[in-house]
Amino acid sequence: MKVDRRSFLSFVIGGAAGTALSPLPWKLMDDSSIWSQMWPWTPVPPDGEVVYENSTCSLCPGGCGISVRKVDNRAVKIEGRPGHPVNDGSICILGLSGLQMLYGPTRIKSPMKRIGERGEGKWQKISWDEAIAILTEKLTDIRDKGEAHTVAAIAGSDSGTVPALIRRFMTAYGSPNFMRSPSQRDVDELAVKALFGGDGRTGFDVENADYILSFGSGFVDGWGSPVRMFKAASLWKEKNITVVQVEPRLSNSAAKATRWVPLNPGTEADLALGIAAVLVDENMLDTRAVSGLGSWKNDLLAAYATEKVSQTTGVAAGVIVDLAKGFAGANRPLALCGRGKGLVSGSLRETAAVYLLNALSGNINREGGMWAMPEADYIQWPDVATDNLASAGLVQPRLDGAGTGKYADARYLTNRLADSVNGGGPYPMQALLVAGANPCHDLPDTQRVRAAFARIPFIVSFSSFQDETAAMADLLMPDHVYLERYEDVPIGAGLAQQMIGLSKPVVSPQFNTRHLGEVLIATAMAMGGSIANAFPWDDYETCLEETLAEKWDSLMETGVWVQADTEPVADTFQLAGMDAPAVQAEGDVNSFPLLLVPYDAIQLTSGYVGEAPFMIKAVADTVIKGTDGFIEVNPQTARAAGLAEGERARLTTPRGEAQVCVHLFEGIQPGVLAMVRGLGHTAYDGHLAGKGVNINELIGPVEDPSTGFDAAWGIRAKLAKA
Amino acid sequence: MKHEQTHGTPMKYGMAIDLDKCTGCGACMVACMAENNIPFKEDESEKLVSITWMRIFKLSNGKSFPDLDICYLPRPCQHCEGHGGHSPCVSVCPATATDYSQETGIVSQIVTRCFGCRYCMGACPYHARYFNWWDPVWPDGMEKYLSPNVSPRMRGVVEKCSFCYHRYQLAKNKAYLNGGRRVPEEAYQTACTQACPAGAIVFGDLNNPEHQVHQIVKPDPDNGNRSRNDRAFRLLERTGTNTKVYYLSSREWVRRAGDNYLAHEKTGQVAKLHH
Amino acid sequence: MDSALIPKGVKRCPMWQFLLGLGIVGAVLAWGVYAMLLVWFKGLNQTNMNDYYGFALWIWADLAVIALGGGAFFSGLLKYIVGKDELKNIINYAVLIGFICYSSALLILAIDIGQPLRGWFIFWHANVHSMLTEVAFCLSCYFAVLTIEYIPLILENRQLDKVPFFHNLSHNMHETMAVFAATGAFLSFFHQGSLGGVAGVLFGRPFAFREGLLIWPWTFFLFTWSAAAYGPCFTLLITWITEKVARKKLVKDNVIELLAKISGWMIFTYTIAKICDTTRWANITAPGLGQNLADFYTGNAFYGYWILFAEIILGGVVPAIILISAPLRKNPTWRVTAFFLGVMGVSLNRWVMVLQVMAVPIMPFDTWALYYPSWQEVATTILPVAYGIILIMISYRYLPIFPQEAELNPIQEEAAMAVEPHTESVPDLKPANA
Ligand SMILES: Nc1nc2c(c(=O)[nH]1)N[C@H]1C(S)=C(S)[C@@H](COP(=O)(O)OP(=O)(O)OC[C@H]3O[C@@H](n4cnc5c(=O)[nH]c(N)nc54)[C@H](O)[C@@H]3O)O[C@H]1N2
Ligand SMILES: Nc1nc2c(c(=O)[nH]1)N[C@H]1C(S)=C(S)[C@@H](COP(=O)(O)OP(=O)(O)OC[C@H]3O[C@@H](n4cnc5c(=O)[nH]c(N)nc54)[C@H](O)[C@@H]3O)O[C@H]1N2
Ligand code: SF4
Ligand code: SF4
Ligand code: SF4
Ligand code: SF4
Ligand code: SF4
Ligand SMILES: [Mo]
Repeated sequence: MKVDRRSFLSFVIGGAAGTALSPLPWKLMDDSSIWSQMWPWTPVPPDGEVVYENSTCSLCPGGCGISVRKVDNRAVKIEGRPGHPVNDGSICILGLSGLQMLYGPTRIKSPMKRIGERGEGKWQKISWDEAIAILTEKLTDIRDKGEAHTVAAIAGSDSGTVPALIRRFMTAYGSPNFMRSPSQRDVDELAVKALFGGDGRTGFDVENADYILSFGSGFVDGWGSPVRMFKAASLWKEKNITVVQVEPRLSNSAAKATRWVPLNPGTEADLALGIAAVLVDENMLDTRAVSGLGSWKNDLLAAYATEKVSQTTGVAAGVIVDLAKGFAGANRPLALCGRGKGLVSGSLRETAAVYLLNALSGNINREGGMWAMPEADYIQWPDVATDNLASAGLVQPRLDGAGTGKYADARYLTNRLADSVNGGGPYPMQALLVAGANPCHDLPDTQRVRAAFARIPFIVSFSSFQDETAAMADLLMPDHVYLERYEDVPIGAGLAQQMIGLSKPVVSPQFNTRHLGEVLIATAMAMGGSIANAFPWDDYETCLEETLAEKWDSLMETGVWVQADTEPVADTFQLAGMDAPAVQAEGDVNSFPLLLVPYDAIQLTSGYVGEAPFMIKAVADTVIKGTDGFIEVNPQTARAAGLAEGERARLTTPRGEAQVCVHLFEGIQPGVLAMVRGLGHTAYDGHLAGKGVNINELIGPVEDPSTGFDAAWGIRAKLAKA
Repeated sequence: MKHEQTHGTPMKYGMAIDLDKCTGCGACMVACMAENNIPFKEDESEKLVSITWMRIFKLSNGKSFPDLDICYLPRPCQHCEGHGGHSPCVSVCPATATDYSQETGIVSQIVTRCFGCRYCMGACPYHARYFNWWDPVWPDGMEKYLSPNVSPRMRGVVEKCSFCYHRYQLAKNKAYLNGGRRVPEEAYQTACTQACPAGAIVFGDLNNPEHQVHQIVKPDPDNGNRSRNDRAFRLLERTGTNTKVYYLSSREWVRRAGDNYLAHEKTGQVAKLHH
Repeated sequence: MDSALIPKGVKRCPMWQFLLGLGIVGAVLAWGVYAMLLVWFKGLNQTNMNDYYGFALWIWADLAVIALGGGAFFSGLLKYIVGKDELKNIINYAVLIGFICYSSALLILAIDIGQPLRGWFIFWHANVHSMLTEVAFCLSCYFAVLTIEYIPLILENRQLDKVPFFHNLSHNMHETMAVFAATGAFLSFFHQGSLGGVAGVLFGRPFAFREGLLIWPWTFFLFTWSAAAYGPCFTLLITWITEKVARKKLVKDNVIELLAKISGWMIFTYTIAKICDTTRWANITAPGLGQNLADFYTGNAFYGYWILFAEIILGGVVPAIILISAPLRKNPTWRVTAFFLGVMGVSLNRWVMVLQVMAVPIMPFDTWALYYPSWQEVATTILPVAYGIILIMISYRYLPIFPQEAELNPIQEEAAMAVEPHTESVPDLKPANA
């Protein structure tokens, strides 16, 4: 057939019309829309049977009860556990993010040994047997040379069976160098010893107090047991209780307080003592709980006359008197201390001064008051029978100097570690074990910490995550995360009770990780002799069950064990530590006219676990924007430096320099800059690394001369246009 | 179009959020993200493209040091009723992909029907609606925690707070199985309410006098559902969005920051509701 | 080379020149198409739009081209319904411009939606309360009408016209064109209005919200009115540009002036209505919602009172006066200035009703949201411009768009011979509807 133009056109048009009228295009249209609703690259979470598993969160010292929703064998949501004595169903932002840590790509998925240069990130997967063999060989080597004391261990905490096993291992091995990450707990324990004459910690019955005077304690910024404190803060609102927040910056806690009293940074102790002086002067005291007040009264009045305190602190005299009257006028007034979350050891003078206020109001060891709580002592293991090598090592001085000489009362001085390793110590460190801590990010003057780590010949990290410290290690022996393991969690953080929570494996281990307790037992076995004898348990679970003894069953059932009546350390308060000199900020006023103070935010963990993507998502764009980190600046200070909102600036301190962005904030005194703690990670993945500045790069430890603890509350700084 | 079973008075789920208690901690935001499979990217600092069904706004009284005061305001979808269910967003959606339920008062979002025109986003004065600018991608392994109760959304559609509607469905099924007709107050609570460590959020049926939220808000049906509580206010109440999320504050500047006022107008005393 | 396709009696540039022009504009088009494909395959993350700025540059372009394309329906209305017969000499071009504008608008919508494969849900799951539903239906129908109006023009191509079927078809279509013109005017009234309603119904946004009549906010009527008023301005502006590029007169002055005068009066009345609307909104509507003008025009780097002045005075009052006043209107410089200002004015109005609506803070603790488009948005916005130019180039070259062209530009004998070696007599080019 001859196709002429006309028939061709008819064919085309007819065909088009025919196709349009046929079901074909409509079917295709419908199919493509259905396909767009079920794109294969959008995940479809599988369904299954739902169960809830109870456990205890140990992402922070808070000790909350959690209830994990599981579908089949996947944990899909962490919720607060209703009825739990700490958090009763509520939960914090970090606790909610736990599954991103469990399933996150920053987990260390198997034991590994370093094959590249240190910090280069080149690793080789090895078996657990090989990892334990490497560790055993290295440790045996050192010990056989009579240098057991040159091995050190840093743990995130020293309470509970796992830290106790580390400590026991160090003892059996022969090293005095067990250390704990610094926190306000250091000075608190020391204060309890100095003021009450025994070992223990303070506890605060915040729920029953009727006037709160907080010296910078971030009661809704993560201080104490965070969820419990949030609940207390709401209770205070409901009961219409006066809450005074003394702090240089309008923190979220200050904003929640009835009254915010800004003061010159670092002068909290002066204000506390100034208030004490007013109490003494106006005789608004209850002296039952205080001993040795007599002659000291005059010294106090002489040194802390209201006008003088007003000068030092920048708080008006009238306000000081007001605070004293408010405090004295309440039935159960409570003074809190420990800046922000209490992440720095802190000064003894300040701690003692604040505790003194509680003592002067008679509010010690009673409802609504401050309690001197003894340490929970359920871990009753037989003493370690040390061999000669170990005994010789144990009598050596500690690397950080704690426990001897002028630091006799300090248990750990982890802040002095870097200087010690960098040449200031009694002997070089040969090996370091790190568990539940991230000193390469979290210790002040991070550059020096990293330099110290570079000098340590052998570093083992037990971290579950690819953190900054793990990056510096030679051997990775990843622990299970808290949702995969059994562990006792003694809950210390400011509770006026003794409580132990139990973490249970909610899901089976996701990767080739191993419980730290197991690894320690296995390593001890491999090392043999007296070390093996110190670990008479087949496995960690047996150890835990035996240790908890009669508490085990109730812990398995309820998840938490509460001691009914705890005998306080002592009922009388002795005066001590308050005459020490004030801790000054490092740096010279002329070259560094401004002050930089760290602040804590609940959206950031400021701890070793690192922030999950969810948390970073909840951080304001005035804290991080892209990779830039912000500092808060009073508009007046910014104007003087010619800086506008969002502008980049160079921030310099005696310890370092960083590029930051400026956020204008009227909630901070002119001349003071604030930067959030916890950012500036270099490890983990792109969801966390490279965002903001690590304030520890800019700030160094300042030793409290009376204790050796780091009591830095800020550092002098200068700010210039970038 | 669709049948809805209603027994007696329809429900009207809503919230009362106490801003005196809210600390701005963000637990509600993350509880929501975890409950509702909300995706995240490496950089979430560009807040205008960051999906947060619940978002915390920081309010300030605008004063200088040391008189500055700040307040945090958590903002879920306000589940506006508008006039007779004509929420700002529902009335504009050309494809009926978002709807006002007369049974529960919940404004739904049907992501598989939404074709991403974003008109509803323009209509919502609370910026409660979020567009999926990107395909949702979970880092390797993390898709394990995704909950089967809420489908992850595909690129190119709008999503928003659903008052955890799947929890309502589960509670309703449970209630029916147990022979009950009404969902008990404690059986249906949203993820954000449940998580909030400050106990700042109270959720329930505004129509049910037994529910705490009703007792706090004391809505006045004769006055456009305004609250009879002096501490309570709603966001942009005078536009007539008729929201079901009420806020409480003892501070006047905060109550005033919830709506637009001309300089001379008294807080909470504006002439009339629109529409 | 393509002389057999070129309408009789007119002269066109050499093929190489035509192809060169086509090539240059085609490159721009290709750039736009590349951006469009990026958006389709990678999603709207290719734009700088965000959750505050859900509508941005190209939705403005969409609204603007629809307003500017209003010349088609309004000229049609004037010619077929009102009976302004002179307009037959420009109606073809108005239809072509309208066709370009509306096809562009639909293309932009297809790029703009997040789920183009489900775009048809707007018809299938239609929500009768939504202004966008109304827009979608009327826009699609009106585009069909424009296509029907454009087809006979295509069929008048010299070669196509030789096919008796096409010849008859185009003839018959011309006969019934009044019906389509009426339908088009009716549809246009609604979709232009609905586009105005899109912003006007946003009762949560005091900057956009307007009271109104029955179910429609005042912006509904203002949009229809402004499209009718300014659309012809755009037709005339493009005609002027085409004349400049072709370097010859294509439409007689009396036709231009007639349309310009009508447009002037329309702009005049529209501007009065717009001023009334603005006054009411500024003094009653917005303050009733707790906001005043200063909230809308201060406190940011871009949106100041200047925009109000530029839209209403420069883009409204000034062109209205120029086009109403006979002496000014007859002066080509003033006249074209007025066209230009008018096009600017209506485009600015659409900008304000889309972009500024998104930018103004609503909650007292919100901040201004400023936005700048990504290159992909710019390219996809320029894409319809390139496409329009190409369609105009091809249509102008091969179709008898301008009935007066041959008369206004008589071909010298030898030139005619060169183009047209046949000996047939050259009939007057008929207007499209004859
Ligand atoms: N209020 C309300 N109305 C609804 C619905 C709703 O949820 N609520 N749902 C709608 C829907 S989805 C549906 S499918 C319809 C269902 O509505 P119907 O079809 O009306 O279903 P039922 O009322 O459940 O059952 C119908 C009748 O069948 C009887 N029957 C049971 N078994 C048999 C049998 O073997 N043989 C015979 N001959 N009779 C039998 C039952 O006793 C009952 O009387 O209702 C619709 N209407
Ligand atoms: N015991 C018993 N069981 C039965 C039956 C029975 O007779 N007796 N009948 C069976 C039959 S026939 C049927 S059809 C099924 C019905 O069972 P279902 O499909 O569970 O129907 P509904 O109870 O109507 O629940 C549908 C839910 O969807 C919600 N919804 C409404 N509109 C929308 C929307 O636009 N989007 C979303 N996401 N949700 C929406 C409604 O509020 C409602 O809660 O039950 C079956 N099961
Ligand atoms: S407060 Fe601490 S223990 Fe409690 S949920 Fe949060 S991270 Fe876990
Ligand atoms: S969880 Fe509660 S306290 Fe925290 S931001 Fe949300 S509402 Fe406020
Ligand atoms: S808050 Fe926004 S999204 Fe929610 S119902 Fe109201 S208008 Fe719709
Ligand atoms: S984006 Fe989706 S839900 Fe919103 S109006 Fe468009 S179709 Fe409706
Ligand atoms: S109600 Fe549910 S969906 Fe809405 S913000 Fe709260 S958790 Fe998210
Ligand atoms: Mo059914």
